[in-house]
Amino acid sequence: MIKTNDLSKSFSGLEVLKEINLSVETGEVVAILGPSGSGKSTLLRCFNGLEELSGGRIQVGEIEVDANQSPRERNKQIRKIRLNTGMVFQQFNLYPHKTVLQNVVEALLIVKKSPKEKAIILGENLLKRVGLFEKKDQYPQRLSGGQQQRVAIARALAMEPDLMLFDEPTSALDPELVDEVLAVIKELAHTGMTMVIVTHEMEFAREVADRIVFMADGVIVEEGTSEEFFNRPKTERARKFLKMEEVTN
Amino acid sequence: MDIIWSNLPFLLQGAYYTLLITIVSMFFGSILAIIVAIARLKGNRPIRWLARAYVSIIRGTPTLVQIIIIYYGLADYGLNLKPLTAAYIALSISIGAYLSETLRGAIQAIPKGQYEAAYASGMTPIQTMKRIILPQAIRIAIPPAGNTFIGMLKETSLVSVITVTELLRSAQLLIAQYYVYMPFYLAIAVMYWILSTGFSFILERIEKRLSIYE
Repeated sequence: MIKTNDLSKSFSGLEVLKEINLSVETGEVVAILGPSGSGKSTLLRCFNGLEELSGGRIQVGEIEVDANQSPRERNKQIRKIRLNTGMVFQQFNLYPHKTVLQNVVEALLIVKKSPKEKAIILGENLLKRVGLFEKKDQYPQRLSGGQQQRVAIARALAMEPDLMLFDEPTSALDPELVDEVLAVIKELAHTGMTMVIVTHEMEFAREVADRIVFMADGVIVEEGTSEEFFNRPKTERARKFLKMEEVTN
Repeated sequence: MDIIWSNLPFLLQGAYYTLLITIVSMFFGSILAIIVAIARLKGNRPIRWLARAYVSIIRGTPTLVQIIIIYYGLADYGLNLKPLTAAYIALSISIGAYLSETLRGAIQAIPKGQYEAAYASGMTPIQTMKRIILPQAIRIAIPPAGNTFIGMLKETSLVSVITVTELLRSAQLLIAQYYVYMPFYLAIAVMYWILSTGFSFILERIEKRLSIYE
């Protein structure tokens, strides 16, 4: 589903991703872990073009984005990727001027040009799925953080994506609201959706991910099944990281 | 007082023109402002430069001079505009410059995450601007824009110099006929005040309506 070749990214001279080679298979759930500043969010944002590549290539599904393409060609490819990719943000980023249901169906109507009745049926079903049907006519500001994030997940699913990207979906939430969001993501993982999740929730990653990608300083330090990574980390760096996380949790 | 009552229809007609000029200029000025604000933020270098020059020139010269240039100045080149047309054009151009600055600030106040959410869902930059950014920016821009609109209502008095018979010129014409000043000037002052109060009221209602989501 995703394949990167020597993907690099710099911000004004500072290299935050260094020649990343990573594959994600269809149906796989991959969690990207790592300390702050390791480049994990940046990597995720490269997958759907929210960050421009400085070097290398990405393939998502059949669509390829190359740092050497002309900006015009690249934008065309990125838009194709986005049509098949849903994204959930740390800060939810719901549209505050639209109701919950309008948030969910907006892209369906504007991008996919779905008929309104069809979009509303799909939107309402998704809201039922995340347990927020009764909030459909509320504005996001009235919802708790956990509810907002569940709406954001429904919004991302509305485009019926083949791939879902989660950028620290619970980091902005109060602790007591984390579980309701994780439950929705877990449920989604069981449906066979391909997912890449950047997270700080170790227990959740262990439980939901087929594979762990551990990053530090812009490189992938270690990869392995969730069982391997948490029980028998290969590198010193990963052992240190897990110890730190244990202490803070 | 009798002198006012008997000439009230004439003054009301002046008020009608004042209101008409205000609303027409508000409408075209707002469209212009949206285009210029986006040009300044998203345009390429020459377009940005052009938008900046427009704002700078209009804000840096008196509205009265702009009105006179458009009505009398352009006549030198064979462009003979009707007074009312010249008034619409001059005031739309003027208000467009001020509003575009207000709107530019409002667009810049929208968090980056809003663009990202829209882009990530496959929207084009134009769709994002139209559906996600502008509606929120306009809501932010309404209170300061309201001040501009009310200022505009009062600035319409300037077009009396190009013989548009709006409120001020209606009073001047009556004065020329009756040789008394105070009653007519007081009467139009009251009418301006009523008009701007009405405007504030409507703008407040719009603001409330647009802020239901907060």
